[in-house]
Amino acid sequence: MAEIKQRSLEEVKALSAEEAVEIMRQAGIVGAGGGGFPTYFKYMKPQPHLIVNATESEPGYWGDKLVQKEYLAEFLQLFEAMKSIFGFEQISLGVHEKDREWYAEYQEHASDGVYDVRYVPDTYALGEEKTLIKHSTDTRVPRFVDNPDGTRRPGMPPDVGKVVNNSETLLNVYNALFLGKPLTTKFFTVYGEEVDTKVYEVPIGASVSEVLEIAGLDLENSGHLSVTDGGPYLHDMAIEELGNGDAYVRRMTNSLFLLPQGRQGKEYAEIKTECPEEGIVSLVGKVSGVNLPLGGGLLKPATPLVSEGDEVEYEQKIGEPVDEGFSIGVWASVGGEISSIQNNIVAIAGGAIAQEEAEAEAAPSMAGGASPRGEAEPFSEAESSR
Amino acid sequence: MAYVITEACIGTKNTACITACPVDCIYDGGDHYLINPDECIDCSMCMPECPVEAIYPGDEVPEDQESYATKAAEFDYSKIAPGVGIN
Repeated sequence: MAEIKQRSLEEVKALSAEEAVEIMRQAGIVGAGGGGFPTYFKYMKPQPHLIVNATESEPGYWGDKLVQKEYLAEFLQLFEAMKSIFGFEQISLGVHEKDREWYAEYQEHASDGVYDVRYVPDTYALGEEKTLIKHSTDTRVPRFVDNPDGTRRPGMPPDVGKVVNNSETLLNVYNALFLGKPLTTKFFTVYGEEVDTKVYEVPIGASVSEVLEIAGLDLENSGHLSVTDGGPYLHDMAIEELGNGDAYVRRMTNSLFLLPQGRQGKEYAEIKTECPEEGIVSLVGKVSGVNLPLGGGLLKPATPLVSEGDEVEYEQKIGEPVDEGFSIGVWASVGGEISSIQNNIVAIAGGAIAQEEAEAEAAPSMAGGASPRGEAEPFSEAESSR
Repeated sequence: MAYVITEACIGTKNTACITACPVDCIYDGGDHYLINPDECIDCSMCMPECPVEAIYPGDEVPEDQESYATKAAEFDYSKIAPGVGIN
């Protein structure tokens, strides 16, 4: 099995497709754009054309744009490596027309011939794969496809030789292949009512309430606000009444969006936000604990490698993927003590604040709170704003 | 370019599309459901949900179904609420 370790560009390029796929699986990478689909599976059967989805669509988001800006050098190396490993004939970066200037550096480097940039209309389109393919190529994913057994299924990008991955997902692939870093964090935008727009990199499984407190919200006096996991159009309700209950950062959380209780997300469709001047702020090592799902949604739970009471380090492997179905490796997103393993959720207490304080803070919010919502639910099952 | 619900919806009126739509732009138009093209954000989420494959992207509607696109464009949505009719 290919080890997750630091590699030079030449070493990464020398990986076989099978080795790279196994590294993605072990590293725990799933679609960060919101789909949560296990990334390794998309590369098991290599396709001729990789399309990088840089068309962040929810109004007010900055996460993907900042990721692409801050990690330009990493993306350039990754594109070169992906071509070698998977034999892509073409790699394209799909960008909204309105973001031409933001992606100007990518356009400059495209002259090297490793990839091209394709500008698509500024439609919302959920960053949806099929719409991106339609707008960036002369190909259409069929609406439906016949299975060999006579049943029908919706068409998918591989039906027309395409793989589509979101920007952040590919940064996570870079981290795994080049840096030997497994997936432990999520980038997302915090915005909406009564909060300054921020983009954070947050340990997966961190408490939504804690992140909002760090963002400057006075939780005790914010009961009139709700927070959604997602933007104005598409989201799950994370906390109906702030200060009462909690939710956890998921592998596909792209935003925590604040709005007055009872208001509809789509009322904010016209919201405009300023890109935060400080760029991406990392909360790694700055949260008091996490609740990490071993599976959920499409994913079969990984087998826990730890027990209650164990001490774990940051980026220590705590879950081994199972061989049956979709399953991924799970890694500690904070260092600390395993405080519980229940319902395929591993709770780790530790991190930035003292153990006792973390427990005291964690206890009430977990007792009354909503249970951590499922990972990797396909978009189609996500609740809408109603 | 909004999505369009076509003839296959008649007699079925499965509500999966309504559940899937993130912007509540699907209305009960009587015999079949209608997507309000002024509200549709072209997200495509409804399309794979339809068990009878009645939903097409606006620019892929078969020729013999184009009257459904016209009907959706001309329908007066101001008098009804989106979703499943309760009256």
